[in-house]
Amino acid sequence: MAENGAIRSVCIVGGGSAGWLTAGLIAARHGADLKVTLVESVRRGIIGVGEGTWPTMRNTLRKIGLSETDFMRATHASFKQGAKFARWRTGAADDFYYHPLVLPEGFPDLDLAPYWNADPQQSFSDTVCFQEALCEASLAPKLMTSPDYVGVANYAYHLDAVRLGELLAEHCRGKLGVHHIDDDIIDVRLTEKGDVSAVVGERHGAIEADLFVDCTGFASRLLGEALGVPFIDRSDVLFVDRALAVQLPVEEDSPIASHTISTAQRHGWIWDIGLPTRRGIGYVWSSRHAGNERVEEELAAYVGPDFAKLSPREITIRSGHRAQFWKNNVVAVGLAAGFLEPLEASALVLIELSADYIATSMPASRSAMDFVARRFNTMTRYRWDRIIEFLKLHYVLSEREDSAFWRDNRDPATIPQDLQDQLELWRDSPPGEHDFASAHEMFPAASYQYVLYGMGFRTRPRPGRLGDAEAAQDAFDRTAALKRKLTATMPSNRALLTRLAQYRFPPL
Amino acid sequence: MTIVPLNRAAHSGLRIDPARAAEAAAAVHLVPLVASEIRQVAGQFPVFLAKDAETGQFYPAALMGLEPQENLFWNGAALEADVLPLNLLRLPFFVVGEDAEAAIAIDEASPAIGPQGTCAIVDAEGAETDYFRSVQTILGRLLQGREETRRLVDMMLETKVVREIKLDLAFHDGSTSLLTGLYGIDEVALGRAREKIAAFDDLMILAAMALSLDKVAALVRRKNARIEAQSAWFTPGS
Repeated sequence: MAENGAIRSVCIVGGGSAGWLTAGLIAARHGADLKVTLVESVRRGIIGVGEGTWPTMRNTLRKIGLSETDFMRATHASFKQGAKFARWRTGAADDFYYHPLVLPEGFPDLDLAPYWNADPQQSFSDTVCFQEALCEASLAPKLMTSPDYVGVANYAYHLDAVRLGELLAEHCRGKLGVHHIDDDIIDVRLTEKGDVSAVVGERHGAIEADLFVDCTGFASRLLGEALGVPFIDRSDVLFVDRALAVQLPVEEDSPIASHTISTAQRHGWIWDIGLPTRRGIGYVWSSRHAGNERVEEELAAYVGPDFAKLSPREITIRSGHRAQFWKNNVVAVGLAAGFLEPLEASALVLIELSADYIATSMPASRSAMDFVARRFNTMTRYRWDRIIEFLKLHYVLSEREDSAFWRDNRDPATIPQDLQDQLELWRDSPPGEHDFASAHEMFPAASYQYVLYGMGFRTRPRPGRLGDAEAAQDAFDRTAALKRKLTATMPSNRALLTRLAQYRFPPL
Repeated sequence: MTIVPLNRAAHSGLRIDPARAAEAAAAVHLVPLVASEIRQVAGQFPVFLAKDAETGQFYPAALMGLEPQENLFWNGAALEADVLPLNLLRLPFFVVGEDAEAAIAIDEASPAIGPQGTCAIVDAEGAETDYFRSVQTILGRLLQGREETRRLVDMMLETKVVREIKLDLAFHDGSTSLLTGLYGIDEVALGRAREKIAAFDDLMILAAMALSLDKVAALVRRKNARIEAQSAWFTPGS
């Protein structure tokens, strides 16, 4: 630590997406003002969760200084325009809805929800937004002429998280001057006041820094182990604690889905993420409700005959997070901070948000750090709570009766009180911006609308709320026109990605 | 269009009227350029960068109309311009293929081909005519210019002198048009980047492109004249 308590160096412990995204955002923002070191055990490897991102990733990568073409080529990325939830409501074969990334037409100035609820003929997502039509046809959200990170429709990515870590590592070391140490941490040294003064590597000895970022995964070596911050288990709300994952190679010219497909199963649900080279498929379930042989059977049925050739990997998930995320001079990012089932791809976005806050609010001195940490803890806890509620929302509205997993999910004792209260409100008034007034909201009111109405929830129509029927009709017509226009003009995901292998997105 | 490889046996008897070849440009608002002609063409037309729809790559082009499929320099018989881009002068001939594979082709459907044509490809002795040799020179410049043009465009993007220009225009009859997808050289950015542009020739090309943006006014003038001529035509009772 510098004599006057100035913050001059940051040590990130652990690589992977969490470590390297944090290193990249801090180094890109602070340049030579801050010495950024990342120490990781290369032989320990990374878990590589989070193959789906949020649209925020576009801005994150731009800030770090990567071009979209280089990023997409290196991580075998594809475009993601939302999620399709199949069989979540009734479990029937034709039961599905979308949570697209484009807001309902006109939202939030015009709220179509009351008009749709007054006459819910077709699906909500397909009536208020054009994006579902693009997804159903496996079309891309942008053109070859669209500049880097700019789309015709809002989009995020599906990617290979291991390759993302490698790309970021190369960029951080080569372009951003991040100091990289390959070592195994054998000890963490504390000062009398309880700050971490150094991590001790097996080969490099003590590595000192003014601020440490714990990216050591589930182990949480610094925040959890060394500083004793407890883990708060949230499996009372979110039951999923196991995943069985496979990677299914795909044909070179096969269509690539433009959305994450999440298909509910008897004891949980299956994710299906299409990349140009493979599909990542995994079954997440609750081990309290089902054994893995029954799950494997369902996963095999989903994958088809090729399942026999694959080697499924079982992953244990601890649903929950640390009681604090920043304590003294240690802040945790990624799995070291916590983890939730991947239902709405919250892992990478929480890494981005945390790393961005650390980079932009980097205290200049140790004396200012406790305040920054307090704010970070309040904000981050708020985010975890909102995500947990939103994930739970997907379960509580299900009408599935085929297992204890689904029935238990509707037990009020497992539903956060805030969510129960809000559901009561939404019976008479659609989710609106007023329901989500914090600067740190994770999901816009529109996301709640997509899930609620997709799951069969209805808000009682109130005639007084239907005052602008012409504007609403115009918006419905605009959606229909956009659907026609864009399904006729957008290239397929596969065609655009094939072209991207040869040409680059223009810089502007 | 019917573009076929040029072939001595099939095409030696063809007669071509070069004046009519430019008819193909009557419905073209953007004509691609090569680096070596930009300075000269920029004296007549505004020169922008546009993006190829297939590849997303920028290419320099002369703007001749204010909406797709409009050429304001076409008067029904000829292009009213002192300088024409090589890509118009070469018509009805084309280069097909890349590098060593490159070959000359001809549009057999071109209105310039016909018995009344003033120029031949080969003379009575079977030798190439002066006309055809000049066409070959033009095609050669276009072919050789590809790489140089690529380098010039990359340099413009690297030095960050390119910015999007939306032509939001109003005409005398109250109508408006918005032409997007055009990118020009920004004078202020060019001023900042001039130390980074080593070759004087490059700097002059970029300066010519920046100054050529003023020539959009000439297109607006032509458009107004065209609107006026059309409205006169449609005046009731006249």
